[in-house]
Amino acid sequence: MARVKFLCDVERCIDCSGCVVACKEGHHVPVGVNRRRVITLDQGKPGEKSISVSCMHCADAPCIAVCPVDAIYQRDDGIVLVNKKTCIGCGYCFMACPFGAPQFPKGNVFGARGAMDKCTFCAGGPEEDFSAEEKRLYGQNRIAEGKVPLCAGMCATKALLAGDADVVADVYRHRVFQRGSGVNAWGWSKAYKE
Amino acid sequence: MTNSLNDMRHAKSLIFIGSNAPEAHPVSMQHILHAKEKNNAPIIVVDPRRTKLAAKASDYVRIRPGTDAAFMMGLVHVIIKNGWEDKEFIRTRVAGFEEMAKVAETYTPEEVENITGIPVEQTLRVAKTLAKNRPTSLTWCMGGTQHSIGSSITRSFCILQLVLGNMGKSGGGTNIFRGHDNVQGSTDMCILSHSLPAYYGLSDGAWKHWCRVWGVEYEWMVGRFKEKKWMNKKGFTLSRWYEGVLQTEKIHQYTPIKAMIQWGCGSNSNSQYARVKQAYDKLDLLVVVDPFPTMTAAACESDNIYLLPSSSQYETSGSVTSTSRQIQWRQKVVDPIHNCKDDYQIMELLVKKLGFADEFYKNIKQVPEDITLELGRGSLTIGYNGQTPERIKKHMENWHTFDIDDLQAKGGPCDGEYYGLPWPCWTEDHPGTPILYDVSKPVAKGGLPFRNRFGVEKTYDASGRSEDLLAAEGVYNPGSEVEGGYPEFKDVVPGTNWKTDLSQKTIKEAIAKGMAPFGNARARCVVWNFPDQVPIHREPLHSPRPDLIAKYPTYKDQQDHFRVDTRFESEQDPELVKEFPFVLTTGRMVEHMGAGAETRSNQYLAELQPEMYAEVNPRLANDLGVRDGEMIWISSPEGSKIKVKAFLTERVDTKTIFLPYHFAGILQGKSYVENYPEGTAPFVSGESGNTVTNYGYDIITQIQATKDGLCKVAKA
Repeated sequence: MARVKFLCDVERCIDCSGCVVACKEGHHVPVGVNRRRVITLDQGKPGEKSISVSCMHCADAPCIAVCPVDAIYQRDDGIVLVNKKTCIGCGYCFMACPFGAPQFPKGNVFGARGAMDKCTFCAGGPEEDFSAEEKRLYGQNRIAEGKVPLCAGMCATKALLAGDADVVADVYRHRVFQRGSGVNAWGWSKAYKE
Repeated sequence: MTNSLNDMRHAKSLIFIGSNAPEAHPVSMQHILHAKEKNNAPIIVVDPRRTKLAAKASDYVRIRPGTDAAFMMGLVHVIIKNGWEDKEFIRTRVAGFEEMAKVAETYTPEEVENITGIPVEQTLRVAKTLAKNRPTSLTWCMGGTQHSIGSSITRSFCILQLVLGNMGKSGGGTNIFRGHDNVQGSTDMCILSHSLPAYYGLSDGAWKHWCRVWGVEYEWMVGRFKEKKWMNKKGFTLSRWYEGVLQTEKIHQYTPIKAMIQWGCGSNSNSQYARVKQAYDKLDLLVVVDPFPTMTAAACESDNIYLLPSSSQYETSGSVTSTSRQIQWRQKVVDPIHNCKDDYQIMELLVKKLGFADEFYKNIKQVPEDITLELGRGSLTIGYNGQTPERIKKHMENWHTFDIDDLQAKGGPCDGEYYGLPWPCWTEDHPGTPILYDVSKPVAKGGLPFRNRFGVEKTYDASGRSEDLLAAEGVYNPGSEVEGGYPEFKDVVPGTNWKTDLSQKTIKEAIAKGMAPFGNARARCVVWNFPDQVPIHREPLHSPRPDLIAKYPTYKDQQDHFRVDTRFESEQDPELVKEFPFVLTTGRMVEHMGAGAETRSNQYLAELQPEMYAEVNPRLANDLGVRDGEMIWISSPEGSKIKVKAFLTERVDTKTIFLPYHFAGILQGKSYVENYPEGTAPFVSGESGNTVTNYGYDIITQIQATKDGLCKVAKA
């Protein structure tokens, strides 16, 4: 069975946040909760790079390992989901996650309690597909509709790829070959003097 | 755009000057990055700021705002000196090259460095990169136009492309990105004060042409004006309409402006916004037609204002023209919701009340299809006549049959046509013109020579040399009856030409001969009807380099410049920089759009960019004693000021302050947010950058010079 993956091609990402807004609008994510974010390094300096980051749907997900109530689970296709009705909002997953993906309801400084929310790969949640309850708790279920996640679908430069890991790898491999040699190839300016 | 977004995929190099595509035109980036990846095309970004586009560049060129023409002429200088110009293209298709080259001689790389701040080596390197990687796609945006010499700057871009022979070629061209989905369409319809639709101008002939199209008597039209002479006189511009209200500058009109309708206009995109606000309060009547109340609703403090809620694009339909000159049909998704009406309904009610509905709706029974048909039938200058609503809709329905690389349908119901029938689309079976001035294809298949518009011969003032303005022998589109240059078509139907023959016989006859209706001529490097016949550098009105003013002074003051006097020379004070030492420039951010009324009302976009700020270089901030996130006052020479947060970043250099211009709601430290109708205030408010953009307007177009003003900064 296919396993899903995200890949953000940093050569293509232009820091437009289209993925962030597509996600929020599509799932009606509350302000302050970010299932996806664009991170920019060295803004305004030579070498500026941007990358779009969300839950990476790890094959061996640390969040699943640390969850004390087993609220987080992985589907056969690799999508990592949380059952918000089981989650106790302890935040262990947030401490374990290498990407800062788990999000919690925003409120007063100490008052925010509630279930963890994160990227669902647009696959809804444990509730029945397309049910009102699924939509309320998790947002749309585009995977069940046979569509790619909103963020990748929206990406203007196709920097953000999502879907079957083999296909994503093929698309990216094709790009790397296409970039080939010449002035834009990595290391070219070091190897050759113009 | 002479080419299309998609065609940029074929560029072997790209140069952007005054364009920040990742923020202003993010979707275009997929084609730009495609050229970079597939062709190894170097990307050169010329900008006062190290922008997000600069992050993707192979060469970032930091330029002092307003000195673009000097840099372009410097590149031309280096190209000619090295013999890299396209000699055959120039010999056969360019006019006034020698006269232009004479001017370029003075723009040595050393002089360019003195004016622009661009190191000599970098000018040499960029010139070589462009010469060795042809064709080059050249893109500019507002950063190139919004200067007192904006019209010269944009011409210098075109001249560079002519010298390199990059016009009329796939992967080349001058590719000016338009701001939103229908800005090209509104330009084509000339929603401006100096021309009737489709660039016909304001002559009697133009009025008679359009009266024939509209089916109204010319005499009736004349009767709508106070006197006939006002029909032929350019009106006030969007940049300076408020002068007609305030009358603090001398106006040339029999009455001040008393009423104003802002229809889909984000008003805080006007420079000198504090003066705009004064005009609101003075008007007898102010009407805002918009889905959002806009800053106008909050800023206007007299009771003369009416808000007409219009629908969004999803609640109406019609044709729109993209930046690539492609016409598309926008489908309605839902009927207008709440209490809004679509623009057609609002216009209809207005026209009925004003009492000329019979004349207005002569040809329009079905809205909006009949509108598209009527405007197309009249817009022969730019070949809008072949794009019928049926054809446009067919293209939308068969989207998938068009090639992403060359935009042509390969098979299917639109076989051979180019997506969106890019204008000129001369006849109802013409495929559209994907690349302007491309002589490699027959005219009937989308080819085109340069237009013959300015006579057939010219003796230049500067040199006394005479030149044939038609293209040389041997330059023609395949299948042309005349194998060389030829003038525009006229008198096929006696008394008319290709632009005014509504029967379109002239156009059809030209196409049948394999020729372009508008002739086959040369592109001009010398424009004898402009004050600077060849583009030259002139210092911005408010110059940070007083030492350059004597050598590169601005123009003489202009009287009756779009009905108001405009200062140039008398405004260029060499002492100004002592009190206002920093260059002020403005631009866009990707999260917000235009004046921001719509995007600041979206909670997610508001969350991403919740605050107005000014970009300040960390070194400058330290010298001023300002820390990141502290509030500062920015003051303009006109006496207005804004209080904004300092955002420390090396995007700008130590002499430049950058402001995004999308914010509104706060004016000179005072909040107007409570003036919005209940429940309509945007999520995010802030000072408008345009409150402190300076006085200054282009000599030809009167576009506001928002990119090269001066300011002073103080800790708040």
